[in-house]
Amino acid sequence: MTQTLSRRRFVKLTAAATALFTAGGKAQLGYAPSLTYPAVKVANVSQVKTGQPVTFSYPDASSPAILVKLGKPAVGGVGPGRDIVAYSALCTHMGCPVQYEGGRFICRCHYSMFDPAKAGQTYQGLASSWLPQIPLRVDGKGDIYAVAVAGLIWGRVKNV
Amino acid sequence: MALIPRRDQLPIPPKNARVHNTVCQYCTAGCGYKVYVWPVGQQGGLKADQNAFGVDLSQPQPPLAGLSYTETMHAVTTGKDGRQYHVVIVPAKDSPYNRGNYSIRGGTNALTVWSLDRGTQDRLEYPLLRIGDQFQAITWQDALTLVAGVIKGIRDRDGNDDNITVKAYDHGGSGQGFEDNYGLGKFFFAALSVKHIAIHNRPAYNSEVWGSRERGVHELNYDYTDARLADTVVLWGANPFETATVFYAEHILPNIQGNTVAEKQEAFAKGEPAEPGYLIVVDPRKTSSYTVAETVAKDRVLLLRPNLGTDYILANAIARVVWERGYYDMAYLQARTDMGLFEEYKQKSLKLQVPYAEFMAQVERITGVPRAQIEKAADWIAKPKAGKFKRRTLTIYEKGIIWNMKNYDQVAAIVQLAVLTHNVGRPGTGCGRLGGHQEGYVRPKSPTPGSIYRGGPPVNVDKFLVEGKGKFYWVVATDPYLSTPNSQVFRKRIHERTQKLTRALGQGGEPGTIQERVRKILDVLYSDPDALFMVVQDIYMTETARDAHLILPAAGWGEANETSINCQGRLLRLYEKFMDPPGEAKPDWEIFKLVGLRLADLYRAEGKAQEAAKFEFGKNWKTDEDVFLAGAEEFKDNRVSEEDEATLEAENYKGVTYKFLKEVGQQGIRTPVRRDPKTGKLVGTVRRYTHKFGTPDGKFKWYGSDDWEGYPAEVAKYLEGEKAKQYPFWVTTGRAQTIWQTAYHDRHLPVKAAALPLPYVEIHPEDAKRLGLQSGDLVEVYNEEGNGTFMVYVTDAVKPGLIFLVMYHWRGTSNSLTSGYTDPKTTIPWYKGTRANLRKLAGSIPSVQQTASLLQQNKFD
Ligand code: SF4
Ligand code: FES
Repeated sequence: MTQTLSRRRFVKLTAAATALFTAGGKAQLGYAPSLTYPAVKVANVSQVKTGQPVTFSYPDASSPAILVKLGKPAVGGVGPGRDIVAYSALCTHMGCPVQYEGGRFICRCHYSMFDPAKAGQTYQGLASSWLPQIPLRVDGKGDIYAVAVAGLIWGRVKNV
Repeated sequence: MALIPRRDQLPIPPKNARVHNTVCQYCTAGCGYKVYVWPVGQQGGLKADQNAFGVDLSQPQPPLAGLSYTETMHAVTTGKDGRQYHVVIVPAKDSPYNRGNYSIRGGTNALTVWSLDRGTQDRLEYPLLRIGDQFQAITWQDALTLVAGVIKGIRDRDGNDDNITVKAYDHGGSGQGFEDNYGLGKFFFAALSVKHIAIHNRPAYNSEVWGSRERGVHELNYDYTDARLADTVVLWGANPFETATVFYAEHILPNIQGNTVAEKQEAFAKGEPAEPGYLIVVDPRKTSSYTVAETVAKDRVLLLRPNLGTDYILANAIARVVWERGYYDMAYLQARTDMGLFEEYKQKSLKLQVPYAEFMAQVERITGVPRAQIEKAADWIAKPKAGKFKRRTLTIYEKGIIWNMKNYDQVAAIVQLAVLTHNVGRPGTGCGRLGGHQEGYVRPKSPTPGSIYRGGPPVNVDKFLVEGKGKFYWVVATDPYLSTPNSQVFRKRIHERTQKLTRALGQGGEPGTIQERVRKILDVLYSDPDALFMVVQDIYMTETARDAHLILPAAGWGEANETSINCQGRLLRLYEKFMDPPGEAKPDWEIFKLVGLRLADLYRAEGKAQEAAKFEFGKNWKTDEDVFLAGAEEFKDNRVSEEDEATLEAENYKGVTYKFLKEVGQQGIRTPVRRDPKTGKLVGTVRRYTHKFGTPDGKFKWYGSDDWEGYPAEVAKYLEGEKAKQYPFWVTTGRAQTIWQTAYHDRHLPVKAAALPLPYVEIHPEDAKRLGLQSGDLVEVYNEEGNGTFMVYVTDAVKPGLIFLVMYHWRGTSNSLTSGYTDPKTTIPWYKGTRANLRKLAGSIPSVQQTASLLQQNKFD
């Protein structure tokens, strides 16, 4: 099963910029998700415990990711409390693994820290791009699926 | 869900993309970057031989070693040829300084380029003339006629340039460099003779470190490699994890982690102990530079938190411990320092006449720092290592010292402690500024005085203007409405004064021609002495520009070739032009050249050939390099031996050309550059003052500190009687990782503006609890100088009773609350100390709370 989320644009787009998305069919400047992602089951809502991260790989085996239930509502959160989120576990600074500890993601290579409740924003440290957030979907059985990646996974020019 | 636009793929630079070397436009560190530019519609391939990176992109990059090319490193701009170009800006792997590392600020360099699909489209593109309450587009021709006409009219009437006031940068980086500084200097100092000029971030034309320079120590004397070699690094009022981020992450932290021991063994004397480094942080706040290091090496970090304004007392106390414990080398002091003046230092700074126990008790009372910590700091700074080897300590200070009360005495005390312990001029030592921006100063001599000991202090130009003096105010690439101390008072007065001219110009109908406008402006300026004409030259519409009569659009970083040095090694490199400026924007040097030539025309028309000639300084400047080479003429002859490097200006680059800089690329060359007397080759200077200090006799000049005299009247008023209760908080101010040196662009970038939408105030948990405040609440912080609304961050970075305000946020500046006090010796303000109270406003702004992270920024464990 695949799914493509609709584009959401938050900046003014001039006609000139819009033209870019089609220029030569090669410019590849669409906003994420602009690619086709697999839907992968990560966990069931009933198994996820607040503050206990679940590690998985997404969208492929060489891309570690972390799902976590924060215990308070988060941007893009799913589940009854809208508090379950998932992110790429590769630091957007220089690609080291991030850990979920003390309610935030921290990378111990140069100490970047990301806020899981605020779309993975870098609230301290070196990473200029926010942590890529993995949009989640919950089906009728409470199964949580990863369905896309909003943000570029470090070390790639294309997520898939 | 994304809050801000995200990407999941990026364009690949094709093999034939243009490749340029440059240096980050932002902070003092000066990290190297590579720029790739190619037309939209083309694309490189994944294989290493199919793209301009020369990297195999078909596999994920390896962490740390791989190429960092992230979402914030790409943009699309429009060239003067009307075509669109991809611009990719990635950290340079071949830069010896950053080696592919980068920060949250430099990582967004590409986002700041002029681009039609984001906020940077707001760049100024052509001159704007105020007509009543509107800005209207005009040509450069008319803009030049207006500026030159008003300047000449003032000179004709006054016979001098004293009514012409200026606020301008004196630095490198950020789209300025030696070229722009020289153009500006030639115009204001050699053609005009402007005495009422102030530097971008302060109210006068002055060095921030005369207390060091007058001792014979230029503030940029150490090299970044010294941070790898030091036995102890001292960060005094400096927070490099947030304000020189890659310097901290790439050089200081590895030393504390013990990862540079092998380099130490190589550099040190035979048998000399080489161990993981120690770190001392002196700061009223528990900064992230301290807490990161605490996380990696708890036993080798020390935090001293002096009361505001008392750092020089603390520095002298550490020096006293050094003296008592004999941690100095008398042979060195005798050979290299002025022993006559040393007596004064011993008496006034070390106070040897006061018994040790009594002295230390006084110091504890004034600074609030326990004696045991002071003694421990002295051991870590200067206690000889096993085998009697001298310790190697690198002391780095910045605005916590510079923008402290008593600027001159603060700076002097710290550099004297370093020289007393022979911690200057050896590998792993040094005592200098961390720096803020990069540097690029080359100018003719200014007609302004030095410190109180050198004909000064210089005029406080803010006060001059607030008092109703001056008729013309030219603001170049700075936003004093945010950046000047006591800025609320300043803003209101400049608004009032410029409005007087605006209103008078509109009376009886706006002038029809530019010539008529010049005449009417001069009539008003000389009939209403309070009226003020203001020109703002910048890359964006600024807060100050809202009150300007004329706005001139300047070129930014990457839109012209420029050169600058960084502050951790004086590394001179060429910042190559990689794109066109938007619209009609021009580099600053060219704007000054053109205003000069227009003035020359006006003088020539009156037959004043001699006066005209003074303004033709730029007539042969065709390229950026012409200006760079002309600037070099200001420097001394640099054919000197290594032993005599101290006689040269810190920036001396005589003999360097753009061709040379292109050849050395990211390696650069460290100023002062020497032309080796034997070989004639250009040689850089890694570290300064190994052989001599920068004084006529080569000896260090000691200084006797002032006694502790309490706080200046502007702040002392808050410490007595009723006011002590009304304004119960000490206030300090400073910077934040995300928006340091970048806010002029960041307000236009969603990735930054969403993260830090409002200025914030740090409050200790105890105070927050008592006042019923939570992170995210809005409060008004106020005192008798001014007020502002800030978002609350509850954090133990501050002590109870102390609050911290982030500086220069576009939604409100901490400087509205700072006092008008400046050091009587230097006219440097005390931006980092005053008193205030806070008042809770009704709740918080939900949309702000939704986007801004409220997590604690100094907690890494
Ligand atoms: S540390 Fe400074 S110079 Fe280096 S990338 Fe960051 S802002 Fe630029
Ligand atoms: S790799 Fe994560 S902070 Fe540098």
